[in-house]
Amino acid sequence: MRGRTRGPSPLPERAARLWRTLGAAFVILVFVPPLLLLVAGSLTEPGLPPAPTPQLVPDPLSTTGYERALDLGGLLRASLNSVLVAVVAVPLSVLVASLAGFALARLAPRVTAVVVAASLVALMVPATALFVPRFAIFRFLGLTDTLVPLIAPALLGTSPLYVLVYYLAFRALPAELYDACLVEDLSPLRTWWRVGLPLVRPVTAGLTALTFVLTWSNFLDPLIYVYDRNLFTLPLALRSLSLLDPTNFPVFLAGAVIATVPALVVFALAQRRFLHHGD
Amino acid sequence: MSGLVLDGVSAAYRDTTVLHEVRLTVSRGELLVVLGPSGAGKSTVLRVVAGLEPVTAGRVHIAGRDVTEARPGRRNVSMVFQSYALFPHLTVVENIAFGLEVRDTPRGEARQRARAAAETVGCAGLLDRRPGQLSGGERQRVALARALVREPDVFLLDEPLSNLDLALRAEMRAELRALHDRIGATMVHVTHDQTEALVLADRIAVLRDGRVEQVGTPDEIWRTPASTFVARFVGSPAMNLLPADGPLRPGGEAPTLPDEPLEIGFRPEAVILDAAEGTPATVDRVEVIGEDAYAYLTLSAGQPVVARVPAVRRPERGATVRLDVRWADTHLFHVASGRRCDP
Amino acid sequence: MLTPYLVGLLVLVLLPALVTLGMAFTDYDLLRPPSWAGLDNFTALVDDPIFRVALLNSVVFALVAVPLRVLLALGLALLLHRRAPGVGTARTVALLPTAVPEIAYGLLWLWLFNPLYGPINQLLRVGGEHGLTALGRTPPQWLTDPTSARAGIILMSLFTVGETFVVLLAARRALPRDVYEMAAVEDATGWDVFRRITLPLMAPVLALLAVRDAVASLHFTFVPAFVVTDGGPPPYATTYLSLFVYQTGFEYLRYGYAAAATLVMMLLTLAAVLVQWRLIRRYRRFYQL
Repeated sequence: MRGRTRGPSPLPERAARLWRTLGAAFVILVFVPPLLLLVAGSLTEPGLPPAPTPQLVPDPLSTTGYERALDLGGLLRASLNSVLVAVVAVPLSVLVASLAGFALARLAPRVTAVVVAASLVALMVPATALFVPRFAIFRFLGLTDTLVPLIAPALLGTSPLYVLVYYLAFRALPAELYDACLVEDLSPLRTWWRVGLPLVRPVTAGLTALTFVLTWSNFLDPLIYVYDRNLFTLPLALRSLSLLDPTNFPVFLAGAVIATVPALVVFALAQRRFLHHGD
Repeated sequence: MSGLVLDGVSAAYRDTTVLHEVRLTVSRGELLVVLGPSGAGKSTVLRVVAGLEPVTAGRVHIAGRDVTEARPGRRNVSMVFQSYALFPHLTVVENIAFGLEVRDTPRGEARQRARAAAETVGCAGLLDRRPGQLSGGERQRVALARALVREPDVFLLDEPLSNLDLALRAEMRAELRALHDRIGATMVHVTHDQTEALVLADRIAVLRDGRVEQVGTPDEIWRTPASTFVARFVGSPAMNLLPADGPLRPGGEAPTLPDEPLEIGFRPEAVILDAAEGTPATVDRVEVIGEDAYAYLTLSAGQPVVARVPAVRRPERGATVRLDVRWADTHLFHVASGRRCDP
Repeated sequence: MLTPYLVGLLVLVLLPALVTLGMAFTDYDLLRPPSWAGLDNFTALVDDPIFRVALLNSVVFALVAVPLRVLLALGLALLLHRRAPGVGTARTVALLPTAVPEIAYGLLWLWLFNPLYGPINQLLRVGGEHGLTALGRTPPQWLTDPTSARAGIILMSLFTVGETFVVLLAARRALPRDVYEMAAVEDATGWDVFRRITLPLMAPVLALLAVRDAVASLHFTFVPAFVVTDGGPPPYATTYLSLFVYQTGFEYLRYGYAAAATLVMMLLTLAAVLVQWRLIRRYRRFYQL
């Protein structure tokens, strides 16, 4: 009912807006505290006895947790590994997904139907159902204990869902644009690069962000494939940090904050594209 | 020398044949309009020429070259699409220069020629805008400029005026004709609008269910329609058709008719109302369009007839009138084949 | 252009699925070459009390947590589908926990649930004395009591309904507005509108999301169980299928046995996919799509 004058009395509409705002406030009150507590916990002085009441602002405020986390956990090294994986995997993944989505939008319907069906099936299989056989395959290829298995999902576009999203986006472009490219003698690859990609830029931005979040947060793959401490990514280093002293909460909460911030920042930048469009 | 030859071209969509052995020849510098109702295969003709659809039989020659197997980009044709198919992310000048730049024409030269083409179609003031900021008519001009800039052997225009409002359509129609006369290019223009076809064309090819029904100059199509289909499709309201041995006997000198079932066709403007001795008919309704009025009549035997009369002399609804036509204004068609009969 | 993706699909999904099928019938510890075991793995699975507990845990989790998650996401979508001050922020906020890396999220709850240090029990103890709640009860020993531990993992999962929420939000906003204006003309109350219009119109999406979430729950129970409860408290209160497979394979090096359990997991997935397929077909007929 936005942007419209409704009926003779604006009062019910105003009241409804108020209720909606109250609802929004309630949602915020429920969903924000865990994240605030994460930050608060990370800023607590390690080794203190438990406080009698929950504290949103710890007393005393302390960054010791962060210092210890960086010292003990090798988080710097791990962050570097995580960045390395993301720098290779994210562009590769977006490239694979957009190429595959474009090809699906332009290929014969029968081929497309088969690949889309296979993608949907792949989408349904839970990742945990694949880690044993995947491990066997990577071990057979001699690639365990390298970063390769962490980058490999990029070949799937990180998730077949992203390929399907690109497919829908490219299919939504007017068919005559593709015809015009044919008349101008553009190869499929150049059509993808010069016409397709520029026209689905918002999709690319959103999917790049989501791919980054997924890659950055990937915990299962490193857990299974990587044993060399020097190759640990941030999530894995965080896990070993928490095993080091399971009761020293401020230290591994600090590590958790370090791991969370990049993901949340990228996600917050991207969410406008799929959350608020059409408002 | 011919600009374009379709030699017995057939094409299919899935399992349906949409073109049946189409034969067409377009001379160099000629503007051929392909006219037909929707679903007649008009656009398929263009797409076959452009190479966007494969042929199942026959050959396509462009400027003397057999291009049947060539891919679209190698046929040296350009196309103006119904939706114009401008690239939304490129500016007008980039859109026009696109075809040159992807063919590795140096950027400066491409821009130069793009500007010249824009000048020709009158959109030189829009060069830095994007398609989203243009009106329908402006987009149309940009699409034309993009087609012009490569100086192709054949221009293909797929209902380019159908997305414009009425006034703009008339204006662009005239400009398109003027443009053609100026650059003397070979053009194939597809439309379902008979007025557009009559105004624009050097010659018209009328298409029906994937077959060429008649090819001829606008005059020929209008004055000697080759079949009842052409007769009724061209002209609005459509030509009246009555059995030749029916209630209406035209006046004047009668031709000798062959001894088989025939139909008489005559246009609404050929009908004479208020004839002293004619066939009686009742007036069902009358439409007045400015100075003209169309009277929808029913003969006593039940057949409908439309007559055009000056608005000031229109009959009343429900009145009984007597109507007449002259033999000279009629067309004869064989009932069995629907083809024209010239006795 | 499709090649890299097809390779990925083949090597990372289809081939592993086939390998699972093969490995499930062998004994394999990575050191010696696999040896044929026939149906031994499966008969062992049937008799394995841990596996049976894990299977039961996974099914119970799906039955309890999935409806709660979908309902919660639906509630959020309905609450936040129209504009008002604060609504945009609330949408973003509702998504944020979903974007937190799994491991960080797990560690956060490991702390939140801690009976002594954890803020949850600190909150419950407010107003009480001697470590009891205001009602004089002992606060839940989240990670040491089986029921509380299971409840805790479900609670954790309720904050990460972002994906479902986004889909439902889009679905709600795609509903035709005139239907609601018609209902307003008929003076229908909010509850009637929800029961007779919104719910039936969104039922297809809800059903599909529920099935999808049930399949996904096989996966997203892993990190909480692995990090927060370590499958415990004993005996195996929060050992789900995914954790069972992981421990069998990577801690006890019984890959053949783990593959057999994986196969069971895939069969569950397959059943869910079939349900989903039937749902789609039914709604297609119903709505003449």
